[in-house]
Amino acid sequence: MELHWEKRVTERPLVSVVDDDESVRESLPDLLGEFGFASRAFSSAEEFLASDCVDQTRCLILDVAMPGMSGPELQRELKLSRREIPIVFITASREETVRPRLLEQGAVECLFKPFSDTALLEAVNSALHLNPK
Amino acid sequence: MKSANAAPCGLPRPPRLPDMEARPELASGEVKHLQRCINDLISLLALPAVWSGGDPSQVLHTLLDALMRMLRLDLVSVRLTDPVGEAAPVEIVRLAELRGPMPSAREICDALPQCLENGSRKWPPLLRNLMGEGDVSIVPLPLGLQGELGVIVVAAQRADFPQQTEALLLSVAANQASIGLQEARLLSHQKRVASELDQRVVQRTAELAAANEELKKELAERKRVEERLDKARLELARVARITSLGVLTASIAHEVNQPLSGIITNASTCLRMLAADPPNVEGARETARRTIRDGNRASDVITRLRALYGKKDPTIESVDLNEATREVLALSLSELQKNRVIPQPELAHDLPPVAGDRIQLQQVILNLLRNASDAMSTVDDRPRELLIRTEPDDNDRVRLSVRDVGIGFETQAADKLFEAFYTTKNGGMGIGLSVSRSIIERHRGRLWAMPNNGPGVTFSFSIPCSLESLTSGRNRDIRTSGVTDAA
Repeated sequence: MELHWEKRVTERPLVSVVDDDESVRESLPDLLGEFGFASRAFSSAEEFLASDCVDQTRCLILDVAMPGMSGPELQRELKLSRREIPIVFITASREETVRPRLLEQGAVECLFKPFSDTALLEAVNSALHLNPK
Repeated sequence: MKSANAAPCGLPRPPRLPDMEARPELASGEVKHLQRCINDLISLLALPAVWSGGDPSQVLHTLLDALMRMLRLDLVSVRLTDPVGEAAPVEIVRLAELRGPMPSAREICDALPQCLENGSRKWPPLLRNLMGEGDVSIVPLPLGLQGELGVIVVAAQRADFPQQTEALLLSVAANQASIGLQEARLLSHQKRVASELDQRVVQRTAELAAANEELKKELAERKRVEERLDKARLELARVARITSLGVLTASIAHEVNQPLSGIITNASTCLRMLAADPPNVEGARETARRTIRDGNRASDVITRLRALYGKKDPTIESVDLNEATREVLALSLSELQKNRVIPQPELAHDLPPVAGDRIQLQQVILNLLRNASDAMSTVDDRPRELLIRTEPDDNDRVRLSVRDVGIGFETQAADKLFEAFYTTKNGGMGIGLSVSRSIIERHRGRLWAMPNNGPGVTFSFSIPCSLESLTSGRNRDIRTSGVTDAA
């Protein structure tokens, strides 16, 4: 299984999902798989930072509000450590001011939950285009 | 101690009566006279038994009749003065024989003292036509120690009146009358006092009945006012709820959007798996299953929100305060996170359930959490820590405390905190805490605030675990619905 995953990583771009909501962590990787991406899901920013996926991740799908380190805080942390990964924010909040602020700070996209599969695919594709590696 | 002639049984021996046969020098007429005198004396001494319970005029009538019967009198009169001088004196006259129209008792009683004063041996002019011109002996007998009760006057047309035995009988009669009159007066005074007392009792009873009626009216009025107050509180609660709904829309949206997101993602994945060639039926089945699960999750959120904000009759049940707290925390987590508040639940493991209305208690907890969060909104020099602690309290109670590190409140404001419409927040309505306190009091509990040693405030409430104290009579009262803060 682990070997198979490694193989996928090398063949397909890795999209990491960081969200404290379990149903997102369960559903998004399958959809991303259907899109043809490799994916991994983390329940917190801290868990992601501690994993060995940070450097391999080519696109980060990141929840805004989480217990502990929030999405924007993780973004800052990555910028500070010069590991800039294109970020697609997702949020269940409906606050209209959130999106422009996040885009201003360098996010590729900010999707409001619930979002469509095509909106997600577009956002991830733009992110990968920025980060072809 | 025994005297020489005491009987062996200890009783005094009856005095020896003079032996009439042994005294031949005593004439038989004299003996009879003495015997009659003794009989009369016994009669006079027995009079008080006849008088017992009677009024003064009855005393005098029987006495006068007795004197007329015992002594050969031509006239006996009595004038009884009223001790307080209010009533007219009682005057009674007895005449041995009537030879014409009799003057009134008052006229006779007025006339007699004049004869006594000038030592006349004749009847007063008023009585001369009736009684004749012969010599008469008139004797006054004062009643009471100094005649303060009145006077009896006796008269007889005899030169030897009064003889020694007659004088004795008259003086005994006057004494007996004095005692009898005093007693009769005392009795009538007592009767009067008793009747006055009765009257006062009747009056006071009527007054008390009226006061009681007044009190009943006041109680009814007070009850009406309380009911109106309850209604007003309910209305306030609803207003507050509507106001806070606006604030809460964001967190509601958050809670609902999470499962919705799962639903849409899963359904999209499912369609894609079915559209593949060959279709990934197993994967599609799994994502469809997840779709249903997330749908139920969304439905649960709605149910929880409806319970918290919908109109629902309060119900008393056994409430696990830890679970209730966890639910409230889950609902307000996004709001807290947005405010960069770090919730730190410390829920006791051995917490007994409490009796109460779960929704109302959750509204109080939510209100305390949001107040704490608001109190820390300007705090930037320290982590915005929010401690929520549950613990068993003394006397079979459970305590819940919410501690913030916020701006706190001024000591003099501590009393005002729980007053309706008192607020320290911009845009706050200031009814959250007052309604919270009324909810807690309806649970027979207490809600209070204490400044921390460091920065911030700890709000705590303590409520009894026992269901009995709530179900005994207070059940209805708890039906005044609660509210969350209107910040």
